[in-house]
Amino acid sequence: MQPDKPITPPGPSREDRALEGRALADARRAQMRRRAGRIRRTIAASAAALFAAAFIGVYVQLASGHDPALVASAAKRSSTSALAAAGSSSGESETGSGEESSSFSAESEESAPSSVTTSQS
Amino acid sequence: MSVMNLLSSALTLVSQTGPHLFWITSRAAGIAALILSSASVCVGLLMGRRLKGVSGPDLRVTHEALSLATLAALAVHGLALLGDGFLNLSLTDISVPFASGYKTLWTSTGIIAFWALAAFALSYYARRWVGVKRWRKLHRFTALAWLLGIVHSLGEGTDAGQTWFLAMTAIAVGPPLILLCTRWINSSSPSPRTVGAPGR
Repeated sequence: MQPDKPITPPGPSREDRALEGRALADARRAQMRRRAGRIRRTIAASAAALFAAAFIGVYVQLASGHDPALVASAAKRSSTSALAAAGSSSGESETGSGEESSSFSAESEESAPSSVTTSQS
Repeated sequence: MSVMNLLSSALTLVSQTGPHLFWITSRAAGIAALILSSASVCVGLLMGRRLKGVSGPDLRVTHEALSLATLAALAVHGLALLGDGFLNLSLTDISVPFASGYKTLWTSTGIIAFWALAAFALSYYARRWVGVKRWRKLHRFTALAWLLGIVHSLGEGTDAGQTWFLAMTAIAVGPPLILLCTRWINSSSPSPRTVGAPGR
C-alpha cells in the first residue's frame, strides 16, 4: 500500500505569472506617475507661494518708504537740492526750504519709483 | 470703524503703489528665480550622489519641476519689466545682451544667464537627439549660467545691499555652491580607483 501523496494545488501557469508581473509593473508605474504628479504640484505651489511672499515683502518695503531704490534716489535729490539752495540767496533759506519740500514730492511723482514714499506724505 | 480705517489705508497703499506693480512683480519674480534656481542646482548635484531614503526618479522629477519653475519665474522677471513706466524697456532691451542702456553690463549678464539656463535646461528634452553623453557634458555648464545669474542679482538687484537679501542669498546659494565645489574638486583630482589600477 502506497502512502497518500499530499495534494498540492496546481501552481500558476507561465501565462498567469506573466500577467501578474505585467499588472504589478503597471501598478508600480501608475504609483510612480502619481508620485511625480504630487511632486510637481508641490513645487508649483511652493514656487507660487515663494513669489507671493517676495511680492508682499517688496510691496511692504516700498509702501513703508524703506525701499533701497527710493532711499537712494531721495538722498540724491535732497543733496542736489541742498547744493542748489546753498547756491541761491541765503536770506530766503527758511521759506525756500518749504517750497523745495513741495517740489520734492512733485519731482518724485515724475521720477516713477520714488513716488511711494509714504513717510514723506 | 477700525476695519474701515484699515480698508482705506489698504486702498491708499494700492493706489500709491499701483504704478510700481510691474516693478514689484519683476523684483519678486527675480527673488523667486534666485531661490528656485539654487534649489534646482542643489538637487541636480545631489542626483549624482547616492542618498539614503531618496529615490533617483523622485530627485529627477524634483529637479525638472524646479528648473521649469525657475524658467517661468525668469520669464515673469523679464516680461514684467516691459510694463514698467519708469524704465521703459523694449523687448529687445530685455532679450538681447548689450542692447539696453540701463546698467548695460549687469543687465547683459542677466540676459546671457537666462538664455544659457533656458538652453541647458530645455536641452533635456532633446537629449536623445543631441546624444546623452554630449548632453550631460553640456548640462554641466548650467552651473556657470546659475553663477552668472547670481552675479547679476548681486550687481543689479535693487535689494542687493540689504541685509535680508544677502542673508537669503547666502542661505540659498551656500549649499549648492559647496556641492559644486566638492564636485569640481572630486572631478579634478584623480580617483583612488583609477590611480595605479591595472588597465583593462
